[in-house]
Amino acid sequence: MISISLVLSAFAAVTLWWTMHAWRTPETLAATRFAEPDGDHRVTFSLLVPARHEQAVLEHTVERLLRSTHQGYEIILIIGHDDPETAEVAHRVAATAPERILVVTDENAVKNKPRALNTALPYVRGEVVGVFDAEDQVHPDLLEHVDHAFRSTGADVVQGGVQLINYHSSWYSLHNCLEYFFWFRSRLHLHASKGFIPLGGNTVFVRTDVLRGANGWDGTCLAEDCDLGVRLSSRGAKVVVAYEASLVTREETPDSLGSLLKQRTRWNQGFLQVLRKGEWRRLPLRQRLLARYTLTGPFLQAFSGVAIPIGIALALLADLPVGIALLTFVPVVPMAANIVFQTVGLRDFGIQYGLRVRWRHFAWLILGAFPYALLLSVAALRAVWREYTGRRDWELTAHVGAHLGNAEAGAA
Amino acid sequence: MTTTSESQQTTAIIPKARGGVVPASRPRLPLPDPDAGQRLARVRRRRLTRREALLAVGLTALVLLVLGANISGYPMINDDEGTYLAQAWAVAHGHGLAHYTYWYDHPPLAWIQLAGLSWLPGLAGSDGATVATVGRIAMLPVVGAVLLLVYVISRRLGMAVWSSATALVVFGLSPLTVVMYRGVYLDTFAVVWMLAALALALSPHRNLWAFTGAGAATAIAVLSKETIVVALPAVVLALWQHTARSSTRPWAVGGYTSGLVLVGVFYPLYATLRGELFPGAGHVSLIGAWQFQLGDRAGSGSIFHAGSIANGLVRSWLDHDWFVLLGGLAATAVCLFVRRLRPPAVAGAILVLVACRPSGHLPVMYVVQLLPFFAIALAGVLDLLVKLTPAGRSRPAVLVALALLAATLVAPRWYSGNKLAVTANYHSGYVAAARFLREEVPDRAHTRVVADDVLWLECVDAGYQPDRVIWFYKLDLDPGVAATLPNGWRDVDYIVSTPALRGDSKTLPAVNTLLTNSTLVARFGEDVGRIEIRRITKEAP
Repeated sequence: MISISLVLSAFAAVTLWWTMHAWRTPETLAATRFAEPDGDHRVTFSLLVPARHEQAVLEHTVERLLRSTHQGYEIILIIGHDDPETAEVAHRVAATAPERILVVTDENAVKNKPRALNTALPYVRGEVVGVFDAEDQVHPDLLEHVDHAFRSTGADVVQGGVQLINYHSSWYSLHNCLEYFFWFRSRLHLHASKGFIPLGGNTVFVRTDVLRGANGWDGTCLAEDCDLGVRLSSRGAKVVVAYEASLVTREETPDSLGSLLKQRTRWNQGFLQVLRKGEWRRLPLRQRLLARYTLTGPFLQAFSGVAIPIGIALALLADLPVGIALLTFVPVVPMAANIVFQTVGLRDFGIQYGLRVRWRHFAWLILGAFPYALLLSVAALRAVWREYTGRRDWELTAHVGAHLGNAEAGAA
Repeated sequence: MTTTSESQQTTAIIPKARGGVVPASRPRLPLPDPDAGQRLARVRRRRLTRREALLAVGLTALVLLVLGANISGYPMINDDEGTYLAQAWAVAHGHGLAHYTYWYDHPPLAWIQLAGLSWLPGLAGSDGATVATVGRIAMLPVVGAVLLLVYVISRRLGMAVWSSATALVVFGLSPLTVVMYRGVYLDTFAVVWMLAALALALSPHRNLWAFTGAGAATAIAVLSKETIVVALPAVVLALWQHTARSSTRPWAVGGYTSGLVLVGVFYPLYATLRGELFPGAGHVSLIGAWQFQLGDRAGSGSIFHAGSIANGLVRSWLDHDWFVLLGGLAATAVCLFVRRLRPPAVAGAILVLVACRPSGHLPVMYVVQLLPFFAIALAGVLDLLVKLTPAGRSRPAVLVALALLAATLVAPRWYSGNKLAVTANYHSGYVAAARFLREEVPDRAHTRVVADDVLWLECVDAGYQPDRVIWFYKLDLDPGVAATLPNGWRDVDYIVSTPALRGDSKTLPAVNTLLTNSTLVARFGEDVGRIEIRRITKEAP
């Protein structure tokens, strides 16, 4: 009991330490931002947008991409052959800017995001491949900043910020938004500087030659973004992360607890797959430890989410010696500190995005902390269960704005 | 297999990338941190160089030498020192937080720390001293940390090397410090942690974890001696000022709060887990103890009323060193108006105001908390004075004038005060009494002795059973102790009458009975300071 308590404390403390990376000093915070671009446009981009049953949101996304201030980019829309509704929208928008937009049909029998991206890779002509999801709201200035980031840092990969915005939708949306906030605002920067990074699923830019050299994405992996990051890290690619509130790609949270659970299960299972693939074993020792820690993180988190409350219940109800009972409360310290920092983060999030955060949102944050931890635990257990029973299919998350019935049908 | 949707295999063109021709017409985002370079320079300036560290450590060693010389001879040991040492003994020997029922009189962290340091005196040997005075040696590392922190804080407040060194020396060599910091007091632990909190809040890098650590250190300070909580606003102010115009201020506040609350909460949690949070029949409680400390405890009067206990206390402090107290008070008033020197001044001012309240309890060691803040304020004013003098010929003149003033006004008093401290032996009575109890009393394991807190530890060390040596006031105040004496006072074999015991005996009937029904066996010292070992005359009616 004592050792479990100490392990949990250490885990929670390290997680907290890393989560807070960006805010360590004013200097580290300043370093996480995009440098001011110089106005040159030297890099050419191919922006890949896989879309699946997303006819409702695709047009808007592409229109926004077309507003980009950068001069050298093409957009490649990737549509499944069995998805005529989305294809129709794709062709319609492509016709408005034929010199910029290419529509590629994915005829793979089993459809998922990495396969769709691989389908488009042969058509890429830009020096840099960028990935966006069909529901993303991309800022017009983003490419210019990324261009500059590639040139000024000599990076192979630039990861931009992604932010869920609809914190007001429900208590779990709020927690989900804050997870993204802390991940992209802070934690990823630490990973980039330490040389091991699970990349994000979109707003990620990779040099085309590097991407082709790594044989593109892994079509069988449920977390192709994480996997790509791990493989590129293992090959010593230089990854730069930059976060600018005004430039982040805006997304929305899954529309129900069920789809959030599915999405998280998929990610966790993907992490497990990446862990089992073992590419990360090629890293030097320190990064290897970081990799092992990061990839098993969701499961440790799941374990502590359940174990800590049990420990506390035991301490309060069972007749333990007072010293041991006190010890079971030690892991709560970093967890509670995490909630305090999340409160500060929620306020900061509101200021950065010009959103009004109200008292009820702070209440959701505090009261929802334990249920959300429970949800993550269930997702982690589910992921382990699915991986060991060999269920490796892609549980797609539906997006509000899409026709829900179709999306569910597509998510076999 | 893949096909494109149309015959066209690629987009028509990626328009040729342009270089250097786009005018920067769009509004630009603000640069990340325009004054980062400047700030880094400041960080470098505030970081101690090796030479500076050598200076601070050297001065600290010098002060510790003065403090350590004759530490067991002067001043007369205070009963409270014995109490804390005995409680540390209880912690170190696995008897819980006290060898009597712990009743939340003070939070326990200080004597837990003392227990952690108690292996130290063994290294120094204890010839000719009592166990209790040897406990003072365990305090020396803590005082060393206080001295270094005084220096570090002064530097972090933007003071020069010479003035920071002055703060260290003024604090360390003031006869009042020498007298008070030799004692085994909880306040010393509280001070070291509160100063650590202040130093961390002034972290040159403005590191989030330093701020979190400042919160934790504040909590540990308060859990070492609760009264230091009044200095908390000084740390908060330092943090607030230090993070002004910084992008991370809300996070700093969050970190500080987390550290403070999450460490501090363990004390009430301890009480809760033992079922002793709220007052109730048949058990002690944390809140009950607070009610006693805040409301019911007998006051020591106002420091402004001649003849009151508090007034006498302040007079004795002034006797030891008026300069650091009056000078510090004046300097504190000045520093309140100087932004960068305000945090220590706020701590000093609040501590003074609390001492000035018309009634309430003013303990002997209260001044321990005040001294470092006064010393920093004093040196801060000197620093200010020199900095305000135009550079050139007048600046050395000011320094010379200050040195002359110090030499004529302060040095003689300090010399005589510290000379007394390193030569006087106020303690021979206790040493002799301890030796008597150790060597002259037969069958110690079965002898029951009532003594004060200092000699308690002495007796236990000499082979008496811990439960057969009784703190005199527990006879009247702890029903659990009275229950171990089925025949009442006749179960006691000896009573050791010390100044502390006689001082309180008027309000303690059981102690009075013992004094009346006992005969003198041995006497050490004269008059009010005498120590008497008295055997109980059990056959008395």
